[in-house]
Amino acid sequence: MTPISKEELAAWADGQIDGSRADEIADIVEADPGLIAEVRAHYALKDKLAAHFAPIADAPVPDRLTALLNKQQEAEVVDFAAARVQREEKRRIPRWTYFTGPALAATLALAVFLPRGAETLADSDPALAMALDSQLVADQDTGGETRVLLSFVNDQDQYCRAFSQPERTGIACRDDSGWALQLEVAGNRQPGTEFRQAGAAEILAAAQDMATGPALTAEQEAAAREAGWQ
Amino acid sequence: MSPSFEQQVLDLLPRLRRFATGLAGNAADGDDLCQMCVERALANRRKWQEGTRLDSWMYRIMRNLWIDEARARSRRSQTFVAEEAGLSVGGDGAQEAAVELGNVDRAMQQLPDDQREAVLLVMVEGYAYKEAAEIVGCPVGTLNSRLVRGRDALLSLLEDAA
Repeated sequence: MTPISKEELAAWADGQIDGSRADEIADIVEADPGLIAEVRAHYALKDKLAAHFAPIADAPVPDRLTALLNKQQEAEVVDFAAARVQREEKRRIPRWTYFTGPALAATLALAVFLPRGAETLADSDPALAMALDSQLVADQDTGGETRVLLSFVNDQDQYCRAFSQPERTGIACRDDSGWALQLEVAGNRQPGTEFRQAGAAEILAAAQDMATGPALTAEQEAAAREAGWQ
Repeated sequence: MSPSFEQQVLDLLPRLRRFATGLAGNAADGDDLCQMCVERALANRRKWQEGTRLDSWMYRIMRNLWIDEARARSRRSQTFVAEEAGLSVGGDGAQEAAVELGNVDRAMQQLPDDQREAVLLVMVEGYAYKEAAEIVGCPVGTLNSRLVRGRDALLSLLEDAA
């Protein structure tokens, strides 16, 4: 029979061992007054500790603790739907919103996010390719066709840029042959106060999934442009 | 309809306070820890997956908060050790505090954090070794040996005191 370590004896006393080994230990303990004493001491300490701490669990909980939760509950009853929308948006729109908020607010998505095979923009949309090459987020003509929303680096170490045009919002990444469209959401920009973010949230969520770090700062972006986005 | 997140946390509060008091060594610090834990849980409630055990999740939060707090405390005490040692010389505040603490509390406070939490989770909170190990984030065998070392230290401390 395998001898019993202190650890195993404690585990056995606490009912953590089952099967034939448990029976085996029971037989050994029964025949050994030293082990019996050890198990008794284990139970005695357990009883002592349980009795010592029990009054805390039986005592009324201070108001300052319950208040934290009751306040939340009331708020949720009053405006559960709004709170849920807010939470959903918090979850879906990541930390980059502060950076892109104004541009995104003007984007209205008409269709859900459709991933597409990558195509090189130099051929299919030279104007967009040029905008991605030249425009910086911090410094761009807001009246232009294309607005760059943010730039980041993906897991293949490529620069990627999320952009918005009147007809669509998307993300393109720069590989050796040029800018390749990774995904796009069809949508259109609404002038004035229209405030819809559905497509923007998709793009942001996608950007966050693709990115290996935070969005580029203005300095990092300028340096990347300087280096030809390579 | 299942009870709301808040209601479930409310139901856990008495147990959470017990664990917090055990970790912190006294009721006042325990309640502060408990408050931090509830606030953290509310802020991170989306990270809790419905259908998994809320109690284990909350215990883990509390335990991690306590470890962070303990680290910060030890950094502070290293920085200010000379001053604090100077202040306590001849002062009777520390002695009084020690007298107020019961034997069990004093013995518990002498355990290293990892042994104290193992003892509390298994012997007071009644968790299976596997559950306690998941809360702490260590292998079951490690939890088992911390428990035994903590238990033996307590037994000898309490025997001396008796």
